[in-house]
Amino acid sequence: MPTETSCLGYGLGLRSHYYEAILEQRPAVDWFEIVSENYLVDGGKALYYLDAIGEQYPLVMHGVSLSIGGPHALDRDYLQRLKQLAQRVQPAWISDHLCWSRGNAHQLHDLLPLPYSEESLQHVAARVRQVQDVLERPLVLENVSSYLRTASDEFSEWEFIARLSELSGCELLLDVNNVYVSARNHGFDPWQFISALPAQRIRQIHLAGHSDYGDYVIDTHDQPVCDPVWQLYQRTLELLGPVATMIERDDNYPPFDELLGELHKARELGQTTLQGRVQCA
Amino acid sequence: MRLNDWQLALEAYLLGERVEPDSALHASLLGSPTLSVEQGLQIYHHAYRARLQEVLREDFPAVHYWLGDEQFEALVSAYFKANPSRHFSLRWLGERFADFIGQHLQGGQTEALVELARLEWAFTLAFDAAQGEPLSLAQVAGLAPEEWPGLQVSLVPSAQCLPLTYNSLALWQAAKTGAAFPTSTALAQPMLCLLWRRDLLSHYRSLDSAEADALQGMAVHGWNFARLCEQLAAHGEDVPLRAAGWLKQWLGEGLLQRRTG
Repeated sequence: MPTETSCLGYGLGLRSHYYEAILEQRPAVDWFEIVSENYLVDGGKALYYLDAIGEQYPLVMHGVSLSIGGPHALDRDYLQRLKQLAQRVQPAWISDHLCWSRGNAHQLHDLLPLPYSEESLQHVAARVRQVQDVLERPLVLENVSSYLRTASDEFSEWEFIARLSELSGCELLLDVNNVYVSARNHGFDPWQFISALPAQRIRQIHLAGHSDYGDYVIDTHDQPVCDPVWQLYQRTLELLGPVATMIERDDNYPPFDELLGELHKARELGQTTLQGRVQCA
Repeated sequence: MRLNDWQLALEAYLLGERVEPDSALHASLLGSPTLSVEQGLQIYHHAYRARLQEVLREDFPAVHYWLGDEQFEALVSAYFKANPSRHFSLRWLGERFADFIGQHLQGGQTEALVELARLEWAFTLAFDAAQGEPLSLAQVAGLAPEEWPGLQVSLVPSAQCLPLTYNSLALWQAAKTGAAFPTSTALAQPMLCLLWRRDLLSHYRSLDSAEADALQGMAVHGWNFARLCEQLAAHGEDVPLRAAGWLKQWLGEGLLQRRTG
């Protein structure tokens, strides 16, 4: 279980839209998560604000292009740059997604799902170990939203994640919204997913909004967190105890106070749910 | 299907034009009561294109404005077909866009469109180039007199010099400010546009040929201040004053750093 010191509290995704507001208001946010690729540049605005905000808040790094399950060789140059960024940022942890985003020859710039097969499991686990050797820390991997399932699946997604964590030593970023989105799209019980994960490996939680098309749901990060996701989150906290939690917003940005209000809601829910237990920051 | 084969099949599907999958890919997937295989694939097919289009619209707003949605989208689609992304970061998607426009489009306005795309890309390069270590006026003023003649400089990493033969700057400004978009026309006199970033802000200005020669001499060819004066003397100028004036301006603008190596 995360302890008081390992849980960072309640955070937000750091987005350029809010750079100025953060420095001016110094909001009561416990930490920020950066999208690593946005800072793998040589200079300019992004690095300026990264340093300025990093002086005042703890940061964690979240990547989108590791392509841990891809058919290509791991990009050593990318990993070295990630490691250099980590030296600058001193993140509490480094995460990416359990997916592939690059094909054999081309970058596909999406978080594509993997078949949940023994072959995939061995492939990904070996690559996770390589990444951890370079970064010299456990890799934290996030479950993705998905719109496809392969006929060759031998495990459920939650069984696959649990086995991967056991085999490779990776930690987990549980995106509650992604569980909800995939559960709606593929017709499984989201609680079966969450309750089957190895609790002690869950380092962080993501909350976000999505677009509901009635029959299916698309993960868009452009809406507030919806009620069923809040309910799943509360149940997750009851099961796990305190876990660092953050809200991701990537489009249709609301006024900063509105986003802070949403984070406050997460904090209040956490405090109510975890009454009498060790609390996050 | 083996993992690698399946990934290649999905990659080929995403890169291809057809929304309908081939039978092998279709057979490798399972739909659900709420989301069929076709719908699921289409979500990824659409997202791939939408993402690439969005990035280029943001990086080339003036080219987009000029062409309009439909023509711009067709141009970007053709670009990605010929140049699928090879860099992990979306930031580099547009790297070959200006060259591609020159190869792909025909017609009298192609040259002007290429120039505009080059200008827009140059601003993206300036935006996140390394800061370098710009020399300040105070630092140079603090040099001992004997150090002056030997002073060697280079341009800061964000600085670029673009030859312009069309009113591309006016088009770029109009797209940026939302002002009425001018018609593309050839300039009466070609110009050199110097653009760079100082701290967090991008700057640009025109450069006449004498100043351009002097700046290039010092910052690219490694002339020291003494050599700059010699070169100007050949043109019979009021030498030290003019050279010092330029140097002062360049330093004030944050364009120069000390040459290393």
